[in-house]
Amino acid sequence: MRRRWAWLLAQAAAFLLALWAAPRAEGLWRWLFPGIARPVWESQSWFVLLGEHLMLSLGAAAIAGTIGLAAAILATRPGGQRLRPLLDAVFSLAQAIPPVAVIALALPLLGFGAAPTLLALVLYASLPVMRGAVAGLDAVPPAVLDAARGTGMGRAGILARVELPLAMPVIQAGLRVAVVLSIATTAVGAVAGAQCLGTPIVTGLANGNMAWVAQGAVFTAWLALLADRALRLALAR
Amino acid sequence: MIRFEGVSRRYGDRAVVDRVTLEVPGGSICVLLGESGSGKSTLMRMVNRLVEPSAGRVLVDGRDVAQAEPEALRRGIGYVIQSVGLFPHWRVAENIATVPRLLGWEAARIAERVDALLALVGLDPARFRDRFPHELSGGQAQRVGLARALAADPPLLLMDEPFSALDPGTRRDLQVELRRIHARTGKTILFVTHDVEEALVLADELAVLEDGRLAARGRPAQVLETGADRTVRRLFGEESLAFHRLGTLPAARLARPEDAEDGLPVLPATASLKQALMLMLEQGTDRLAVPAEAGFPGGTLHWADLVRAA
Amino acid sequence: MAPRPAALSARATPEAAAPPREATAVALLAAGAALCPFLLGWLSVAPNRLLSPRPAELPMTPAVGPALGLFLLGCLAMLLLARRERLLPWAEAAAALALAALLATAGLGARAALEGASPLARAMPAAGTWLSMLLLALAAGSCAAGRGGTPARFLLLSALGAAALLAAGLLDGLSVVREAAARGGEIRAALGQHLALAGGALALALSLAVPLGLLALARPRLEAALMAVANGFQVIPSIALFGLLMGPLAALAAAFPALRGWGVGGIGPAPATLAIAAYLLLPLASALLAGLRVAGPGLLDAARGQGLTSRQVLLRLRIPLGRGVILGGLRVAAVQAVGLATLAALIGGGGLGALVFQGIGQLATDLILLGVLPVVALSLLVDALLAALQSALEVGR
Repeated sequence: MRRRWAWLLAQAAAFLLALWAAPRAEGLWRWLFPGIARPVWESQSWFVLLGEHLMLSLGAAAIAGTIGLAAAILATRPGGQRLRPLLDAVFSLAQAIPPVAVIALALPLLGFGAAPTLLALVLYASLPVMRGAVAGLDAVPPAVLDAARGTGMGRAGILARVELPLAMPVIQAGLRVAVVLSIATTAVGAVAGAQCLGTPIVTGLANGNMAWVAQGAVFTAWLALLADRALRLALAR
Repeated sequence: MIRFEGVSRRYGDRAVVDRVTLEVPGGSICVLLGESGSGKSTLMRMVNRLVEPSAGRVLVDGRDVAQAEPEALRRGIGYVIQSVGLFPHWRVAENIATVPRLLGWEAARIAERVDALLALVGLDPARFRDRFPHELSGGQAQRVGLARALAADPPLLLMDEPFSALDPGTRRDLQVELRRIHARTGKTILFVTHDVEEALVLADELAVLEDGRLAARGRPAQVLETGADRTVRRLFGEESLAFHRLGTLPAARLARPEDAEDGLPVLPATASLKQALMLMLEQGTDRLAVPAEAGFPGGTLHWADLVRAA
Repeated sequence: MAPRPAALSARATPEAAAPPREATAVALLAAGAALCPFLLGWLSVAPNRLLSPRPAELPMTPAVGPALGLFLLGCLAMLLLARRERLLPWAEAAAALALAALLATAGLGARAALEGASPLARAMPAAGTWLSMLLLALAAGSCAAGRGGTPARFLLLSALGAAALLAAGLLDGLSVVREAAARGGEIRAALGQHLALAGGALALALSLAVPLGLLALARPRLEAALMAVANGFQVIPSIALFGLLMGPLAALAAAFPALRGWGVGGIGPAPATLAIAAYLLLPLASALLAGLRVAGPGLLDAARGQGLTSRQVLLRLRIPLGRGVILGGLRVAAVQAVGLATLAALIGGGGLGALVFQGIGQLATDLILLGVLPVVALSLLVDALLAALQSALEVGR
C-alpha cells in the first residue's frame, strides 16, 4: 500500500515537472511539429490552468456531492419515497442530454466564462453521487435496521451510525465517478470560455495549432488518469 | 459397468482424489458418501469427463472414457445435480427433451417420451408439460431434473447430491421414488451424498471417501460391521453406529421358526431390524410376528436376538 | 392537493383509493410547469440578431387566449390523472398536450409581439417557458418511472404535436424556427453526418467488443486487460482523446498518402469515430460479459453434463438468458455515441455539434438550439427504441 502511494506521488511529481518543462522545451515541440510557427503555449502558465481546472472541478464536485447525498438521504426516508419517480425521470433525461449541450444552452443565459461549466458540472456530477448513495442506502439489510431500532437508536442515530457507514463504499464509488466526470467535463468547458487545461486544446483547434492541441490533450488526460488513480487508492481498503 | 482404476486428481500439490480404485456393478445404486471436500463429487465428475483425472483411468462398460468424445459421452449418461439446473427460459417439456433434441429425435417421439417420463417421475404430464421452471416447487423441479436425465434412456445416471437442498419430507419422498424408478428401469446409478440416512436408504453398494481416499466400500451391512473403519465410525456417529447397522440387516433372517402367538404386532418379512426395533418400542412388546412370504416360512422375532445382532 | 371526501375513502379499499407513488412528484412538477412562465416570463424580444433580447409581455390576442387555456388545462389534467395508478399513461399524454399548447402559446404570442415591429426583430421563448418545458418532460418521465423510465408516449405525442404546429405555421414567429427555415439544408446535412459518426463508432466498437468479450469470457487475464483499457478510455476526457488522436492520425496520413482517400487524417470524421468508439468499449464489453454470465455456474454445469457443446451453451443458454442485459449495454452505448458525436465538430468531424459550436462562437442562442434540440431528440429516440426492443425481449421470455 505504502509503495503504491510512493509510486503515485512520483507520478504526480513527474506531471508537475512536465508542466514546468513544457514552455521550456521549445526544441522538442519544434521537432515534433515542424510546420508550426509558434509551437510553445505561452498565453498562460500551465500551473495557472491546472489550478483553475482543479478549483472548478473539485469545487463543483464538492457542491454536487452535498446535493447528491442530501437528495439520496431524502429519497430513502419513508416520507421521501415519493421523490423517487422524479429522480428516475431526472436520470433518464440527463442521459439523453450530453454535458456539452447543457454548457451550450447555459451560455446565452450565464455568459462566457466558468459559470455555464459550473452549472453543467454540478448537474452531472450530482447524478452518480445520488445514484450511488440511493443504491447504498437501499442495500442496507432490513434486519440490520430492525436490530438498530431494537437497541433504541433514534432515526438520526440509525442514519449516522448504521446506514451511512454501511453504505459508505458505494457512496465513495459514486463520489469517485463524480470527481473524474468533473475533471473531464471541465475540459469541455473550455469551449464556453472556462480557463482550464482544455483551453490550449480549444485555442489550438481554432488556430490550427496542433502543438497546442497535443500539449493540452496530454496534460488533460494525464490529470484525469492521475486523479482516478489517486481516488482508487484513497478509497481502497 | 464403471471401473475407476487408480484415479487421482491433483490441483497443484493437493490431491482431491487420491488413487481410488472402485468397481460399480451394472444395475446397482452405488452411493459415494463423504463430507464436503472428500472428493466424492470430483470422482463422480470424472465419469462424464467434466473433470479429467491426473492419473489412472475410468472405464464405462470396459471402454476408457478418455477415448470418447466428451459431448457424445455426456449425452449417453444422465446427469442430475443439487441446483437442478433447469434452463429457466425453456418449458418443462423442452427441458426434458434437451438430450433427445441434441440427438435429433423426431418431434412425435420426443413428445411421447416426455409424457412417459413425466408420468414416471410422478408428475401429471397435462399439468406440468408447459410450465416454466420458476413455476415449480423444489421437489417438482428435481423430479423434472430426474426426468431430463432419463430422457434418452441412458444406461447410467450420475446424481450429485440431488436431494440435499430439499425439505426433509420431500427428500424422503424422492428417495422412495428413486428406488421405485430404479426397480422399474434397472439403471446403474452413481449417487453422491453427505447424508448417511440417505446413503443407507438408497445404497446397494456404498463407498466412503475421506480426503480423496477410499476409506471403505462394499454392501452397507459390510461397511457398518462391528470394528468398522475409524472414518466410518466418525461419519455415522460412534453412538448410533449400531442403530444404523440394524437398518442394513433384514429382519426375516433372525426370526425363530416358531408359530407366532395371536395378538402380536405384525412386521413384514422385507423390513429391516431397525424397523423391527422401532415397532417394538412403539408397541411396548419384546416379540413380533413375521408372516410367511415368498422364500420365507414365517416366524417370530425376539428382542434378545435383535440385541445380539446389533 | 385537496383532501379526499371522507365518504369516498371510507367506501373504497385502501389500495384502490391511495394515489400512486408518482402522484406527489407529478403534482409538484405540473404546478411548477404552470407557474413558471407567469413568474419568469413567456417571451423575449430582441430588436435584431445581434442585440440581446429583453423580456416582453405575452400579448393576449384572441388566438393566444385559447392556447394558454389549453396549456393550463393540460397541467391540471396531468395533476389529477396522476392520482390513479391506471390513469398514469393518460397523465403522460396530458403532459404532451400541455407541451404542445405551451409551444402554441409561445408561437402565437411571438407572432403577435412582432406585429408591426421591424423585420429584423426576433422573438423567442423566455426562461419561464423553457423551464416549464423541462418540468413537463420531467413530469412525463415521473409518470413513466414505474415502467422503465422512458416516457415513450409523451415523446411520441409531443413530437407529433410539435410537427403539426410547425406544419400549420403556428410557430413561425419564433426566431429558432426562422433560423431553421433559413438553414434547412445545413441542418439535414449535419444530422446525416451525426448519424454516420454515431453509427460508425457504434459499429466499430461492437466489432471490437464482441469478439474480445467472447474471448475474455473464459480468460480472466484477457478480461482484466480489456476492462483496464476500457476503463482507462472512460477516464480520459473526451476532448483530450480527440486531441490525442489527431497527431498520430495526421502523421499516419502524411506517411501513407493513400490513406487520405479513406478519410484518414488528423482532422475530420476518422479521429472522431475512433475516439467515440473508444468510449463505447466499456459499456459494450461490460454488459456483454455480464449478460453472458447471467447463466450461472449450476446451469452451465447441468448443460455441459448433458453434452451441450460450448457453442450450444453460448447460443442456447448464455445469449438467450443474457440478451436483456446485453441490449441494456447497447442502449447506453448508443445514447453515449449520439452525445459524443456532438464534440466531433471540434476537430472538423461535422455533425450537429458544428451548429452548436458555431452558435457558441457567435453567442447565437437559436443556432445553439438548432444543434442541441436534434441531439436531444435523437438520443431520446434511440433510447426509447432500444428500451422498447428490450422490453419486447423480456416479455418474450
